[in-house]
Amino acid sequence: MIKQTDTSKSPRYDELITDARVHSSLYTDEKVFEDELNRIFRMGWVFICHDSEIPTAGDFVRRNVGREPVFAIRSRDDEISVIVNRCAHRGNIICQEDKGNRKALVCQYHGWAYDTKGALVDVPYPGGFKGDFSCHGLERLPLVDSYQGFVFASFNENAPPLLDHLGRATELIDRAVEMSPVGRIRLSGGWVQHQLNCNWKMLPENDTDGYHVNFVHPSFAQAIRSNYDEAVLDDEESLKSLAKDWGNGHTELFFSPSYTRPLEWFGCAEDRHPAYTKAMLDAYGEQKGGRILRDGPPHAVIFPNLFLGEMNIVRFEPVAPGVCLHVHTPMYLEGVEDDVNRRILRQSEGALGPTAFLLADDCVIAERAQSALQGKGGWLDLSRGAEREVVEDDGVISSHLTDETPNRGFWRHYRRIMQPGSPTSDVGAVA
Amino acid sequence: MISVEDRLEIEAFLFKEARLADESRYSEWEALADDDMHYWVPLQESQDPDSDQVSLLNDNRTRLATRIRQLNTGVRHAQLPPSRMRRSIANVEIEELGADEYAVGANVVLYEFRRQATKELEVWPARVEYKLRRKDGELKMFRKHVFLLNSEGSVRGLSFII
Repeated sequence: MIKQTDTSKSPRYDELITDARVHSSLYTDEKVFEDELNRIFRMGWVFICHDSEIPTAGDFVRRNVGREPVFAIRSRDDEISVIVNRCAHRGNIICQEDKGNRKALVCQYHGWAYDTKGALVDVPYPGGFKGDFSCHGLERLPLVDSYQGFVFASFNENAPPLLDHLGRATELIDRAVEMSPVGRIRLSGGWVQHQLNCNWKMLPENDTDGYHVNFVHPSFAQAIRSNYDEAVLDDEESLKSLAKDWGNGHTELFFSPSYTRPLEWFGCAEDRHPAYTKAMLDAYGEQKGGRILRDGPPHAVIFPNLFLGEMNIVRFEPVAPGVCLHVHTPMYLEGVEDDVNRRILRQSEGALGPTAFLLADDCVIAERAQSALQGKGGWLDLSRGAEREVVEDDGVISSHLTDETPNRGFWRHYRRIMQPGSPTSDVGAVA
Repeated sequence: MISVEDRLEIEAFLFKEARLADESRYSEWEALADDDMHYWVPLQESQDPDSDQVSLLNDNRTRLATRIRQLNTGVRHAQLPPSRMRRSIANVEIEELGADEYAVGANVVLYEFRRQATKELEVWPARVEYKLRRKDGELKMFRKHVFLLNSEGSVRGLSFII
């Protein structure tokens, strides 16, 4: 008999994370990674897809929840199910393509057939099958819910409601979809999977880090005149953008205070898209419509794996402690003329993905960080700007753009999930 | 059927283009591109460059100039220092499109040593389709479409000239 040795004890997360610092082992340790897959990606809510990706009955998209292969599929009654992509018989992949349409789900190995909700409906050569059809369905994620078409799911049937998890951050999603005059976005452009050899947490941390931009992206700043010049690249005294902690690990870089005229966030003159401008003012009124056209879209992370990246939607995917995917698609707007969506597409290709003017540099910097954190490691400082944070009326914590307020918000929520019962000073959390 | 002389001239152009890209000689490489250059790395095996489908890279001449300008700043971390690279071009097929214009298809394998970060060797196999024209007695490139075999899978940082 092989003696089992327990080498996989979880660390004390409340000792590895304080408001002032986090330990580097959180980025490299195999056990930490396994705990994250379980406590964050199985026990909590995870962004799966947007319902516009599967508009008609039978449409499906493949995804991973942590390392679990799943697919989201729409049934004839318009319900969206998120189903583990594994036959209940001998475990083969049910949907091999990344997306498609199926009237029924038939395993290629022995022909077991399921309906679009995962119920077993046919077993070939039934004479030898003595089981109960109702006990051999595909594994469905017990919780599936959506907000503004963003579909989230959880393996944990006892997870709190989606709206509790999103908390105040529903406002961030509202701001994204309200870039459309009809309040609808469409994710039909295809997804680019950019692999970074770094820990997945560097993605949400970096995407709402307002401090790195001048140092990681000087080549962008020098080569390209953009709206980011005022929003993130100015000197410390002149920057008007803010860093925000929305609670529950949701974080934002709020660029809007930097913008002084309509469509500045879109990198064009304010009269460049008159039909869009008119549609927005007609839809939302002069005041709110005008504000949206000036403020632009959110730049915000919804914990743990969704980035509302201005006019892009991004999914974070953990692969291994030192490998992750940054997966993006342009956020197309419904109810606008084609040239608006064309601009969104070209900007998406410019900003995100392996070849991009911005993300290619973030990628190398993150991979260097991962190299530096190998071995025994050390402490990473998170304290910047803690003394000048302000708690706004709605409970959101706000600070100078370059302050580590979003990082602290991310880690505070992470600690709460990873070390249940640990003392918390999570003033940003929604009860 | 193109002449042996034309074929040799076109192949010599491809080898030079490959070498300048391999050696990150950005401005010299850019000088091979004509004013209507389209430099494209699609996401899908079969994709319309004018569709709403996202690409890994979809540069008209203006954006390509921006890309080269960024690489030339000397502070583009993603290529600091530049990847060490060598690529081989094979199975070259040439079709004459009209007066002094050619469509060229080839299989290309690029080996990249990622010395700016992880210090790994990465391999980039691709189908490459070029369009060339003779202008003022010299060949210029006005299309380079790179169909990566793994474009729909996970793709590592690609900040060099592919």
